[in-house]
Order: sequence, then structure tokens, then C-alpha cells
Amino acid sequence: MKTVFKNIKGDRLIWAIAALLAIFSFLPVYSAASNLAYVGDSGNTFAFFLKHLMHLFLGFTIMYGVHKIPYRYFRGLSIVLIPVVLVLLVITMLQGTTIEGANASRWIQIPLVNMSFQTSTFAFVVLMVFVARYMSKIKDTEITFKESILPLWVPVFLVLILILPANFSTAAIMFVMVLMLVFLGGYPVKYLAVIVGTGILALTFFVLIAKAFPDAMPNRVDTWMSRIESFSDDGDTEADYQIEKAKIAIATGGIQGVGPGKSIQKNFLPQSSSDFIYAIIVEEYGLLGGLTLMVFYLWLLFRIVIVSQKADTIFGKLLVLGVGLPIVFQALINMAVAVELFPVTGQTLPLISSGGTSIWMTCLALGIILSVSAKREEIKEQEDKEDNPLEILSEAI
Amino acid sequence: MAVKEKNILNRLYFIAGCMFIFALAVVFKLLSIQFIQGDKYRELAEERTIKNVVIPANRGNVYSVNGNLLATSVPKYDIRIDAVTSKAKVFEENLKPLADSLSKFSGKPSSYYQKEIRKARANRNRYYLLARDIGYSDYIRIRNFPLLNLGAYKGGLIVEQTTKREHPMGGVAERTIGYERFDENGNVTRPGIDGAYGVKYLRGTDGLRLKQKIGNGQWKPIADYNQVEPKDGYDLYTTISVNIQDIAHNALLQQLEHYEAEHGCVVVMEVATGEIRAISNLGRTKNGSYYEKLNYAVGESHEPGSTFKVMALMAAMEDKLVDTSTVVDTKQGVKTFYGRKIRDSKHGGYGKISAARALEVSSNIGLATIIDEAYSKNPEKFLNRLKSWNLDKPLGLPILGEGKPVIYEPGHSKWSKNALPSMSYGYNLKLTPLQTLTFYNAIANNGVMVKPTFIKEVRELNKQIETFDKTVINNKICSDKTIKEMQEMLKNVVVRGTGKSLYTPYFSMAGKTGTAQTEYWMDDWDDNKRYVSSFAGYFPAENPKYSCIVIIHKPSIEKGYYGADVSGPVFKRIAQKIFTDTPIIDEVETLEVKHVAVEKEFDSYYKTAQTYKTIMPNVVGLPLMDALALLENMGLKVKFQGVGIVKSQSLDKGLKIKKNQTVVIEAS
Repeated sequence: MKTVFKNIKGDRLIWAIAALLAIFSFLPVYSAASNLAYVGDSGNTFAFFLKHLMHLFLGFTIMYGVHKIPYRYFRGLSIVLIPVVLVLLVITMLQGTTIEGANASRWIQIPLVNMSFQTSTFAFVVLMVFVARYMSKIKDTEITFKESILPLWVPVFLVLILILPANFSTAAIMFVMVLMLVFLGGYPVKYLAVIVGTGILALTFFVLIAKAFPDAMPNRVDTWMSRIESFSDDGDTEADYQIEKAKIAIATGGIQGVGPGKSIQKNFLPQSSSDFIYAIIVEEYGLLGGLTLMVFYLWLLFRIVIVSQKADTIFGKLLVLGVGLPIVFQALINMAVAVELFPVTGQTLPLISSGGTSIWMTCLALGIILSVSAKREEIKEQEDKEDNPLEILSEAI
Repeated sequence: MAVKEKNILNRLYFIAGCMFIFALAVVFKLLSIQFIQGDKYRELAEERTIKNVVIPANRGNVYSVNGNLLATSVPKYDIRIDAVTSKAKVFEENLKPLADSLSKFSGKPSSYYQKEIRKARANRNRYYLLARDIGYSDYIRIRNFPLLNLGAYKGGLIVEQTTKREHPMGGVAERTIGYERFDENGNVTRPGIDGAYGVKYLRGTDGLRLKQKIGNGQWKPIADYNQVEPKDGYDLYTTISVNIQDIAHNALLQQLEHYEAEHGCVVVMEVATGEIRAISNLGRTKNGSYYEKLNYAVGESHEPGSTFKVMALMAAMEDKLVDTSTVVDTKQGVKTFYGRKIRDSKHGGYGKISAARALEVSSNIGLATIIDEAYSKNPEKFLNRLKSWNLDKPLGLPILGEGKPVIYEPGHSKWSKNALPSMSYGYNLKLTPLQTLTFYNAIANNGVMVKPTFIKEVRELNKQIETFDKTVINNKICSDKTIKEMQEMLKNVVVRGTGKSLYTPYFSMAGKTGTAQTEYWMDDWDDNKRYVSSFAGYFPAENPKYSCIVIIHKPSIEKGYYGADVSGPVFKRIAQKIFTDTPIIDEVETLEVKHVAVEKEFDSYYKTAQTYKTIMPNVVGLPLMDALALLENMGLKVKFQGVGIVKSQSLDKGLKIKKNQTVVIEAS
């Protein structure tokens, strides 16, 4: 154990936050599992507990392994992985399996291990690394819009278009995150406007095609349309039903919550252990629990900003932000859905929600961040120990 | 493009700021859901997920006096099939066997079921009725039929349980045992004992249990206790005797059917206690069958007719205005009172007869003359006497809908000079059959008037909750002398009066016939005469055990309408059956008659068994059974042939035998 701790590098607080979130996650996941076990055939809640434990264990192994890799390697790796991701996405689209309760084909079955895997989440991380690489590469050159199309926007749009039919919300969030990253990388704002315009145009085109040939696409288009409509309308739809249950859960939670495992709405909220887990957390642990959890994510945001600040290269900075900010963003989206600030999307609460892919990819991203911060430590050790009091403060919080 | 670190940082702060604001928005929304909309959603939560489930209490049983079940609640099942849910293959495989089983169950052809279920499947009927209101054992049987044994989801079995009130004795005394029934508007009908005591004792109190909704439309109890425990209803032990009830019911039914009467009732009451042993009320349906239609005995007050002559004469006797031997002139069968003619049923009349004889032959003129002479100056005295016997008041029965007696008084629009003579033979007043019976019962009970009771005790399993003792209405309705004289007269009615056709030397009865005109105020009466035939009395005439009243309304007059002809035989049949069914001596001494031959046989068997232990006895001539027992007790193995008396034995008499040796005996 000691050797493991000795070998842990990088920002210790990120490690701590990740560990705390992971440990806490057992409570709501186990609680929500009772309904899944009841509805399903197994009747065994402990199986869900074990499965979650396994996911987290694998996740932290990934995190540990990745943070040992010097981050400069990710640069090249992202170029290699983009075509792999594209192939995987095509496979997913063609043979995608649906997971009980969620009828979107977003998963592929991994041979041998008998696990399902959501390819879009993996594509997300790879794409962000890829974009960070490109932005750092062009950092010293003036670039025209045309020049950036082929090396940047073509891969981005290819990935997004493959994800779009099955998972609109992920595609949209990825698009926003890519825009954010290129914005951070100093991409001219006027070009961004063009890209946003293109994106919206592409989406409209896609919707029109889907409407014109309803058989060609899976029925997802109708789902998002109805979800967006239901968010703006007062109609009575399935999404309204979910949101109402979530709001009931939040309202019954009160300030202190009803107590661990005592949630009632978990029985009625579909995806109570993933998409709507925040509502269950507020129901069981109250406003206090819900706000504490949010503070943890904001703290993670703060640490990501710090690590990025301190990164030794532009690639390092953009890499940390590229993979780090989506974690926080996703967490906020998940919470926003539960409180009806946002239409219903399938976004999980990173590190808390059950679901292997989400946990693993969050851990992968955290590993990358830690790798960058470990590099910084290395440099720091080599440097003379000029103790800047401000830096010590920032390391400490 | 020249990205500067500073540049990145500034943009980063902008992004991080946006995220922070986003987080604040989430917090704001969270607070607003909890505090502004909180009440609404918390209410919704309770409404949607918590309900108070009523746990119905088991309704108590109603028992007869000997502990037979008269009314009980049993579960009944409706079986339906969801014809759509089963897979095509399973459905095809099991349809025929299922149809065969159902056909065996119901008697309808198998092809019928195959066709119907197939049709239900084609019409996507998920609720096709297979059987209704079947009992538990039938339900278990159907549940195991092919296809249905696959359960609700794979086979489509739908079972709905309801609790039904059943009367194991069938329609017997149904109206008196009663029930509680709610119609769709929530109006309740509560006839009979069930109705009278249902709310207080039988019903019990329903329990309540808070349940919380969990997935799949199921509810789980929130706590491991009930908010309100259900309390099962108490059992009622009635005074009804199944035997007597059965006798009364059938005797009445037989007579009603024979006389095609409109309706009728019989009540049998125990003299000493007032306990109702049998009460039967039968009304005619359009197609001529009879069923427990209304509780006529309790609810129908009518002009009693001649049975009231007993009350009238008793009043005069008790007031010492007349004596049994007082001679009264009944003329030639017609006498005019205050301008109205009163007739006797006998043409030519009875002439001058004693008051006792007037009652025995049921002379209208006789009674009218006696009462008119006795009371015309002071009718209140007569009325007061009747009132002292509670004849103007209802009995105060617990059963709902007791008919009110009507006795008019001077000053009432229906009172006239003729009221008194009319009353003397049972008109111009109204009584219910049970009120009349109560009075006759008091005569039988030597003047102690007891209230009729239907219920003996209330129990919760073996625990007595409440017992009902007899209620004495009037400890002494009149002097012993009057009672004795009246008892004598009532006996003579059967011996030599209007009831003499009922007389039998085998058992004694006492009573009074009654034949009253009814609906005589209607215009069509002359063309279509209607009568109420009655007989009230008790038996045996000495030390009476039961009193009984039989009232039959509107018998077909071609077949007869006199009380002695129509109602009397019912009374007689009941008396006779009760006498033959109920031993008067309660205990029979052990019959210790010695049978000489049997004794002798046993003696010889015993002697042989004692003598021969190791030596073969002679069993020839013994019954095979005895020989077998004898030899096997000695330890021999016996093979035998035939039955009856032993003819031969394989071992000779006197041989020494060993254990387990085999002996063969032959019987003729």
C-alpha cells in the first residue's frame, strides 16, 4: 500500500476529491439499485454494489496507469486514435445494442469481458486531446479559417455526426466543449461564429433528413424533439413525468434529507442510478448533501484551473482544460436537468452515477490531468526551491 | 495566432466564471424547488405514493341454535384470461388441452372454448371471462389447467377474489337471517338478523394500513404494523333451529303450492323463552314458485280475524263480564248490530250456546254479542284491557321494519258503534303475525308474556361477548283461572271445534283458527273473494313446548280458504314432525337386554381360549371368525377357505402344537 501511495504523483487534492466522490457514490448507487433489483429478475441488490465497485476499481486503475504516462505521448496518441474512434462509432451505429431502460443505441458489446461500452464517451476524451494538440501546434502561427478546416474541423464534425443520431445531447455538449477549447486556445472569435453557424445548419439538415426518411434513422430524432418541446411546453410527456418525479424527490428531501436508502422516488425515476441520481441524492441527503456535492465539483474545477495554470506547456494547459472542464460541465448539466434548468439529457454525474463507461472515461480524463500535474512536480523538483508564498497557498487549497 | 499564456488565462477565467454562474443558477433552482414549490411537490409525493389501504374485517358468522352455519362469508373467484399475453407457440400448444379441461369443468364442449379463446386472442381481449363466482377448490383446479398454470404473464391467468355472503342452508329463513347489501348509490338494505345486528356485531371494524407505492404498480406496507388493526366481526348465535326451520319451511311451502296462495308465513316459538325456533316467509313469484320474499311475520300487520276472538273473550273473562258458561244467543246465523248484519259461517247458526262453545266454533255473532253487551257502554275498558297486553304497541324487535299494530279508539274517524262488535272477531284492528303469536305464547306460558327473540348470544370465537336473556313483557297477563279456562277452550277447538279436522289421538294441540276476509273494501271483492287463513296455537296442549302461528294469504278459494283447512294442516304437520323428530325423553337408558345365544357362544369361546394354550382345540362347528381369533392367539399360522362355520381342521384336536405352525381350516 505504501509503495502505491509513494508512486502516486500529481495533484493530491484531485486524487482526494476523486476518491471522496467515488466512496460517496456507493450510497446513492446502492440505494437506487434496490429498485432495479426489484424490477429486474435478479432481486439481488448486492450484485449492483459489486458491479459498481468493480467499475470504480477499474476506473482508478486506469487513472493510476494513465497518470504515469508522460503527457507528451497523448499528443501523438490522439492522432492515431481518431481513426480508431471513427471506426468504433460506425460499428456502434450499425450493431449498437440498447441497454435496458434506455432505448438509444449508444453501446457496443466488448468481446470477452461481456461488458457494454459507450463509444461516444471515449470519443469525447480522444477528440478533446486531439483538439488540444491542434491548438497547441498552431500556437505560434497565424492561421486562417480555411487552413484550420481540414486538420481540425473535419475530424471534429466527422465524430460529431456519427454520434448525433444516437445521442444528440452528448454530441451537442461535445460541440460546445470543442468550441470552448478552441476559444481558450486563442481561436479567433469571428471564426467561431462561422463554426457555430455551420453546426446549426448541419443539425437542421440532419433533422430534415430524419423527418423525411423516418425509417432510415433510429427514432431518436422524435425523442429529442419531444424532449425539447416538453421542456418549453406544459404538455404531459414522459420527460415531464421524469422531471416531476425528480422535483418531488428534491422537494421531499428538504434541508436534511430523508436519510440514506430511504428515497421513495427512486422507485419511479427511470435511470435513478445514473441520469437522475442528483435528485435521489438531494432526496436522501437533503439540500446540505446536494450543495456539498456541488462544492466538490466546483473545487475540482478550481484544482483543474490551478493545474492548467501551472502546466509547463501550452499543450499541457489546453490538455488539462480540454479533458477537465467537460467533467465539471457534465456534472452541472446533470444537476441542471434534475432541477429542470435544462431539458432531459442522458448525462451522468461523473464518478457518482453507476455505469462503467462514464466512470472509466472520467478516470481517464483525471489521469491525463494528473499526468500533466505530475510533470510539473518533476520540473519543480529540479528547480531550486524558491518558495513563493502564493504558490504554497494555492497548492494547499 | 501567437497564443500567450495570459491570453489563455483570461479566457479561462471567463469560462470558469460562466461555469460558476451556471452552478449558482442550479443552486437557485434547487432552492426554489425546495422552498417555493416545495409544498406542492411534497403534497404530490404523498398523493402519488402513499395511500391508506382498507383491510376489510371478516364479517362474523350467523349460527343456528345448535351451531349450524346459517350465514358466512366465503371467498369467491372470477377467473379470466389475458388471451394476448402468451406466446404464439405456447398458446397453440396449450389451447386444446385448456379447452378440454374447461369443457370437463363446465360441461360446455371443448370446441366452444377453443373457438371463444381464439376469438378473444384475435380481438386482443386481455380480459376474457372463463368462470365466475367459483369456490376455492374450483379455483385451485382451474389454476392448474394447461396454459393457465403458466401464470399471469406467460399464461394470462387473471384471478379476482371477492368475498360473498353465503347462506349454507340455502333460501331457508333467508329473509330472517338477512344480509347487508349496498347498491351502486350507496343505499343499504339490511333485512333480518344480519341487518339488525350487522352493524353492531357482525361487521367488525375495518383496519387501515399505510402503503407506499413501489415500482410496477405495487404497494408495500410502510411500517410493520397496521395503522388501525382490523377487528373481525363477532359471531351471532341465533335461536333458529335448523331442524324445526326445515320442517316449518317445507310444511308451509307444500301448503302454499297446493293452495296457490299469494304468500304466507310460519313462526315457531319456544313457549318458555320466547326464542324463535323457526320463521319462514314465502312469497309467490310470477311463475308460481316461492321464495323468501319479505319478512311477513315481522312486517305485515293485517286484520287478524278469528284468532283475535281469543283476546276479545279473554278480556271479557278477565273483566268478569262473562264466563265460559255464559249463554249467548247466536240466532240463526245472522244478527244485525247497529244496522249491520253479522253472519256465522254455519248456515242456520248455532242457536243458544255457551261462550266457550262460541269460541270453539268461532261464532262471529257469539263473540260480537258478548263483547258488545259487555263493553258497549264503556269501550275504553275493553281497549285498556287490550292495551294492558301491549297489543297496541310494536314488540320492539331488533329486525327492521316491524309492522305497527293498529287499534282504533272512540273519536277516531274509523270508530263507530260497530267498531266494538267488529273488533270482537278480529276486524277493525291490525296485528302482525308475531304479535298474535306472542299473545298465544303467553297463554301457553301460563300468563307470562315473553318477547320473541331471535338471538341467543354473541361470540368471538369461544368467548362470550353478550348473551340475550328472555325479556318478559308482562309477568301475568291475567288471572290463573282465566288462563286455565282459555287453555281448555283452545284445546277443545281442536278436539271438537273448528279445528277438529286436525285432531289426532297421537299428540295434543291447542289453538284457534282464523279466516279473515282481506281487501274486502275493494270493488272487485264480490267477484274475487280473498281471504287470510290462519291458525295460531301451541303444542302439546298440556305443558306446551312450542307455540306456532301459520298465516296464509289469499289461497285459491276453489281449493279452500278456511283456517282449519289451509293453515291448520301446516300447524299440525309441524307439531307432528317436531314430536316424532324430538324425543320427549331426552336420555335413553342403556339397553342391557341379554341375548342368550350370543352369551352362550361367547362363554364357550372364552372357555376354549382359556383351556387350550399349547394343544390344538376342536374348532369344527365354531364360526370361522372365532376359530381364526382363537388359533392365531395361540401363535398358529392359519390358512382358511370359505366362510361361515368351520367344517374341518388340518391338525387334529389334542395335538401338541408349535409356534408358527401352519393350520388349514375349511369353512362351509
